[in-house]
Amino acid sequence: MRLRTLITGVLASALALTGCAMGGAPAPKAAPTLEPSTGPVTGEITVWTWDVAATALKRLATDYEKAHQGTTIKVVDVGYDNAYDKISVGLQAGTGLPDLLTLETDRLPGFLENFPNGFVDLTSRVEPEKANLDPSKLAAATGKDGKILAMPWDSGTMALYLRSDYLSDAGIDPATLTTWDAFAQAAEQVKAKLGKTAFDTDLSTGAMFLQLLQQRGTGIFDANGKVVLDNDKAVAVLTFLQNLQQKGLINNTKGWDARVSAAKAGKSAFSPNAVWWTGTLTSEAKELKGKWRVQPLPTFAEGEAKTSNNGGSNLAVPAQAKNPALAADFAAFALLNSDNQNSMMAKEGLFPSYLPALASPVYSEPDPYFGGQPAMRVFADLTSTIPAISYTGDYAKASEIVANATVEAILNGKDAKATLQDAAATIAKQTNREIG
Amino acid sequence: MEKQTSGLAQALGYLFLLVGAVASILPFAWMLISATHTTADVFASPPPILPGDQLWANLVRLQETTNFAQVCLNSAIIAVLYTVFSAAVSAMCGYALAKYRFRGRGLVLTFILITMMIPMQVLLVPLFQIMASLGWIDTFQAVILPFLANAFGIFLMRQAFESFPDTLIEAARIDGSGDIGIFFRVVLPVARPQLAALVIYTFMSQWNAFIWPLLMLNTEANYTIPVALNTMVGLSRVDYSGLMLGSLLTTLPMLLIFVIFQKQFVAGLLGGAVKE
Amino acid sequence: MSAATAAGRRSGAPRQGRRPGALERRTSRFGWFFAAPAVALFGFFFAYPLVASLMQSFQVTQDGVTGFGGLANYEKLAGDDLVWLSLMNAGILLVFQVPLMIGLALLLAVVLNQSWLKFRTTFRMIHFLPAVTTLVAYSLVFRVMLQADGGVINQLIGVVGIPPIDWLNNPFWARVALIGSITWRWTGYNMVLLLAGLQGIPKEQYESAALDGATGWRTFRHVVVPQLRPVLIFTSITSTIGALQLFDENFILTGGGPSNATLTPVLYLYRVGFRQFDFGYASAIAWLLVLVIGIFSIAQFWLMRDKEA
Repeated sequence: MRLRTLITGVLASALALTGCAMGGAPAPKAAPTLEPSTGPVTGEITVWTWDVAATALKRLATDYEKAHQGTTIKVVDVGYDNAYDKISVGLQAGTGLPDLLTLETDRLPGFLENFPNGFVDLTSRVEPEKANLDPSKLAAATGKDGKILAMPWDSGTMALYLRSDYLSDAGIDPATLTTWDAFAQAAEQVKAKLGKTAFDTDLSTGAMFLQLLQQRGTGIFDANGKVVLDNDKAVAVLTFLQNLQQKGLINNTKGWDARVSAAKAGKSAFSPNAVWWTGTLTSEAKELKGKWRVQPLPTFAEGEAKTSNNGGSNLAVPAQAKNPALAADFAAFALLNSDNQNSMMAKEGLFPSYLPALASPVYSEPDPYFGGQPAMRVFADLTSTIPAISYTGDYAKASEIVANATVEAILNGKDAKATLQDAAATIAKQTNREIG
Repeated sequence: MEKQTSGLAQALGYLFLLVGAVASILPFAWMLISATHTTADVFASPPPILPGDQLWANLVRLQETTNFAQVCLNSAIIAVLYTVFSAAVSAMCGYALAKYRFRGRGLVLTFILITMMIPMQVLLVPLFQIMASLGWIDTFQAVILPFLANAFGIFLMRQAFESFPDTLIEAARIDGSGDIGIFFRVVLPVARPQLAALVIYTFMSQWNAFIWPLLMLNTEANYTIPVALNTMVGLSRVDYSGLMLGSLLTTLPMLLIFVIFQKQFVAGLLGGAVKE
Repeated sequence: MSAATAAGRRSGAPRQGRRPGALERRTSRFGWFFAAPAVALFGFFFAYPLVASLMQSFQVTQDGVTGFGGLANYEKLAGDDLVWLSLMNAGILLVFQVPLMIGLALLLAVVLNQSWLKFRTTFRMIHFLPAVTTLVAYSLVFRVMLQADGGVINQLIGVVGIPPIDWLNNPFWARVALIGSITWRWTGYNMVLLLAGLQGIPKEQYESAALDGATGWRTFRHVVVPQLRPVLIFTSITSTIGALQLFDENFILTGGGPSNATLTPVLYLYRVGFRQFDFGYASAIAWLLVLVIGIFSIAQFWLMRDKEA
């Protein structure tokens, strides 16, 4: 009997101790709004970030503390990818999050929509700078009701990297590569003459398909949240990739390490890639100095954007933040400021989403790695033209279905139109959405 | 034992072990090669096949970026404390389940089984809430305590004790030993091989634990090795050689534990005990 | 009730009176004494999470608002192809990977336990090596080795004239690669458990078997296997649970792909909970998995039971 009492006691104390409602502590009723600042902010905040972004913020934190008496900024490198587990658990548990979080652009809408009261409304702070931000990033940072819930940090502006030595060996003038059709022809020519593939990518993630879709101004969902995967633009993109694969022009690589070794081995003549790829090339493939050039992406149709987006992050203030005012102020100091953005570009290779920063002459300086071409100018000019697309809160689920569909179509040769129809139907069914 | 094992059988045995050994070592060879080159050289084509001369440079960078000495110390403190207490808890509980019939035993067994069967992932959020309400986030006890009692260790010891002859326990009782004395002086010494396996397992699981320490630890100075190493995998850049060096160094203490405790794997302990 | 409970009933308590006598009370008292630390820890740290996850499996979230949804999540399970596909994938692992690994581990343990063996300690250590690899290094190393273009494994099979295999992008080969990499990582670990079990076999049993003129195989069949039965059941059941709960290996190697060929229930519930934020549905998947694992464990115990007893 006494034992039974003991167990009951232990169980009861465990329950009483945790003492909160099953399935998570109650979230704040509505998303808190940032009060317009009235005086100097003080106190302490903690920031979660990762990788070179952590290096950058640690550096800027010191600058900020010097300029703002009575503030302490603690920047923690929580590691990439699994940081999202920390963030998800903290949001779901209703406790344990810091004052400022790093969230990537394609993950951000999922968090904003699924935890509608989980983040502080930063509209008052970001609104005046709206015209100064990469439009695609701003769209991703805006919640359903038009509130701006995150500050865009860096952009993953895409362009076409090309090996000028291969192209001249194959007798191709890069200036002619303005359409993807011309690109495909050139790729065949390179393959025939030099045995090189067009580009290295991991087809199983579906990333390249989605990036080319974004280039055409469309995505998985339209602005009303309807599934728009099954349309002529998407079919054309998928067919394009399918043809490249059938002709043996894609070098399918898994992971960052494989892409690096493929690039170093010079397997491909091109790389439709984001601006941050420059950082990888210059640090890991120094021996290829002078061989790469950059130009805008070819297009599928006249008038479409000559770029897309791959990656990039934002800073958001969770509703749990103890000092949201300081968090927002520090974020603005780092991100909505040309000097600080450009210092992150120069030192950590983070490419600004803040457009005024891109006007700086440093982007026009000749880059010896690109044979003296001012390569950053290409990206800087393209950033304001990245098409905005609608991600929705179901992006994670939808992009998994799309990844499987692209594998079916590109690797296994299933009909592009039928694949996209099936994928759209699956997404619509699993997310309770209409097909647009 | 089997004195007349034929030469052919022995040769086959060695061949089997050698093939297995090569398969086991091959990835470590790659880790060693990677850990002694720069990341750029690791991905050169053809890739390097011999160790390089960047060991020291990589070590310096590893220490600079992850404060490796500090996180090693953290990991060691956590893993040693965890192993000592967890092994004791598992051995005791395993013994209770193997050799005693007590009220509520079925309930305890069922509960332990369920904790083993349910995927840990769905327990993380409520467990996190407990730690938050205790104010334990970013502390070592939050990493150590929740998984101190674990089903695997308990069942490992339970099956180890089950084959222990009841007659020996009864004989000891007749000699006037108390239950606790029997456990420590008669039963535990005989279960040494399994206890060694338990210690190896327990240390290993904590030493390599990733997701729970990641959720609990919020300051870089408190990180364990796996959490710290994970920060070297970036979005657009991976410190590949630093990571490989860190991983390689991480396996050394594990191997040390293994070498120390595997000495307990000597044949015939039970036979000896029966004769005593 | 469950496998282990059944095991306990069979060989557990040394004595059991018909009515609670002095001895039974004593047994009960000391039983609780030994079990208490574990029970207290489990009660304190797992009672609430288990109840919470069970409750959560009845909750649905709509537009960020969570409420009671009855059996909605469980109804959804029935119509969700991915749940059944992931269970089937786990079943494939169970059928091919677990016997392969346990067989290899047993063979290793027996060979490593031979008295004629030289460099025994070195061999044991080397075979245990894979189990101590950190996950992050494991993922990076295997990705390099499994690379279709120039990976070590394709180069090795190229020596015997097999054309390169696209390990991680072909559903069939991705499963093979997964089975191979799990086996690589966990065989040495199971070998240690079996080795510890082999140590428990009294020398006399070998000697009397030898006196009866038993050869190596017969000794193995009639002395080693019966004596190892508890350890074998233990390693089989834990490996079964390991296969049904597989997460780490496929998460880092294939991400569940290609075409969900390596999607396992836990990877799926992780996606649902941590990437799609439907923790209610994730909990329902988890409890379905508890049921499946329970059934498998009982079945396994029953299949491997001592039929003479």
